[in-house]
Amino acid sequence: MSRQASAEPLAGDRAAAEVAPVIEMVGLRKAYGRRVALHDLTLQVRPGEVFGFLGPNGAGKTTAVKILTGLVRPSGGRVRVLGFDAGDPQGRRRIGYLPEQFRFQDWATGAELLDFHGRLAGMSADERRSRVPEVLEQVGLGGRGRDRIGGYSKGMTQRIGLAQALLARPALVLLDEPTSALDPVGRREVRDIIRAVRAEGVTVFLNSHLLGEVEAVCDRVAIVDRGRIVRSGRLAELLGPAVSLRVELDRVDHDLLRELGRHGDVVEVAGTSVTLAVDGLGQAPAVAELVVQRGYLLYGLVPVQQSLEDLFVGLVHGETA
Amino acid sequence: MNALQVTRWTLQEALRRRLLLGLLLLSAAFVALFAVGFLLLYREVEETSGGDRLAAVLSANILTVLGLYAVQFLGAFLALFLSVGAISADADSGMLHAVLGRPLSRWQYLIGRWLAFAALLSGYVLVMSGALLLTARAVAGYQPVDPLRAAALLVLEMLVLLTVGVLGSTVLPTLANGVVTFSLFGFAWLGGIVAFIGTLASNEAMANLGTAAGLLLPSDALWRGASYYFQSASFLAETSAVGAFTGGVPFAGSSPPRLALLAWALGYLLIAHLIARAAFARRDL
Repeated sequence: MSRQASAEPLAGDRAAAEVAPVIEMVGLRKAYGRRVALHDLTLQVRPGEVFGFLGPNGAGKTTAVKILTGLVRPSGGRVRVLGFDAGDPQGRRRIGYLPEQFRFQDWATGAELLDFHGRLAGMSADERRSRVPEVLEQVGLGGRGRDRIGGYSKGMTQRIGLAQALLARPALVLLDEPTSALDPVGRREVRDIIRAVRAEGVTVFLNSHLLGEVEAVCDRVAIVDRGRIVRSGRLAELLGPAVSLRVELDRVDHDLLRELGRHGDVVEVAGTSVTLAVDGLGQAPAVAELVVQRGYLLYGLVPVQQSLEDLFVGLVHGETA
Repeated sequence: MNALQVTRWTLQEALRRRLLLGLLLLSAAFVALFAVGFLLLYREVEETSGGDRLAAVLSANILTVLGLYAVQFLGAFLALFLSVGAISADADSGMLHAVLGRPLSRWQYLIGRWLAFAALLSGYVLVMSGALLLTARAVAGYQPVDPLRAAALLVLEMLVLLTVGVLGSTVLPTLANGVVTFSLFGFAWLGGIVAFIGTLASNEAMANLGTAAGLLLPSDALWRGASYYFQSASFLAETSAVGAFTGGVPFAGSSPPRLALLAWALGYLLIAHLIARAAFARRDL
């Protein structure tokens, strides 16, 4: 687990780190007058991974993504995207980008918008003809391509934004809060799309504050707060091994709690369920034996891992987990 | 070229938003109104003046130039309305973000938008001034001094106004840009009137003040150049022969534009483009 303010490759990923990164930020800084939005950001995103950029509102996530696309100029540091300096139109040939503020020309139809973006991306007429319906279908807008965007719901507008990001078969997709306007079904569909494009070898940079979304699809994450990376690494490594046991019983009394206290700290009692913080999962057989020997009925003994939410809240509120 | 894709898209937008249709219908109404008004007034002058050739030439000239003056104003307003939000409106709404995420430089986007608006404006003033001149010719046998030069100068004026508006939209919010560019246009117009009065009254200070206003924004100076060529050759000959209207009419030019004005207008256009390019390139979106 990396606890430094950067997202350098981890020790266990040395081989992967030797591959040229798709995104490389070194000492990236952005200031708006005296207000510093990004402080010395350093991270690498490798080909084919889904990288989660996680942080509360106002943490600087969107600023970082805008720097990657050239919409915002950095105040310092170095940023390379697909081997080009950030903002170089050559590099943007292979980038698909869904902005956080997804607004598109409401007078155009969905298909016209995609056709325009296809032209800008240098796609031929034949490619556009075949790819536009395909990508509309992929984002769940099949059959709605001829409708005007002005008549789309917010969710549909976000879907057409996702379609334009995926249109030109990019090598890197930058998604800035891609499910903010979607219902739970839509969110699941977007997660499936992200998994599908990863399976095709596409790198995804996912900017989000939705922890479930990040937890579900990301290989690695960086947690950013007030313009600084406060934790980064593989999700499993960040969350660490299970450190608690949830013991589910037929009844709970003071004698049992006192006995359980010898194997760990009782952190929560909810009805007939006791959560016990332990040194390691090696305590589980001893706990099970104790419960059974004392004549209690054991319905369940579940290792509990720290959630991303626990980690996130702890980090952004300074209560490092 | 991606700039032309932006031009195509902007023209498509104008068509879809019914800007072109509205413009077409109102322009047709304007030309019809001008034709009827011109016909009625010219006939009345012919009947009441008892065959006075100067009166007929004078009225045809004033009516035509007045109509073209209105076209110039409509074109100028169109230029300013099209341009004040050309960049800022899409930047503020976020509509630009996805587009500039494509392999398209900001300069290409800017020039693409500019070309579309320039085509609309040029088409508008050319068609409208052509329609008015043809009407005047049909009714009164009107022959302008040099309609091609006049049209070229009118188009140049529109391009100057358009470029100033686009430049403003790269650095100012839409509303603020609208206020600034309309004020500039009004300032230049007032400068033209001041210069006219100064020349008529042989007041050098006033004339210089008008020229200075023209340097700040050469729109009125270009109109005066255009309007000189729009006037009828017989009007200029007759008035010069009898010594009448030696200063011309207040809203039109009485002499051909100087080469320095043309050079300044073209340089102005180029400099405004370069500043717009630099300002837009530096702007965080």
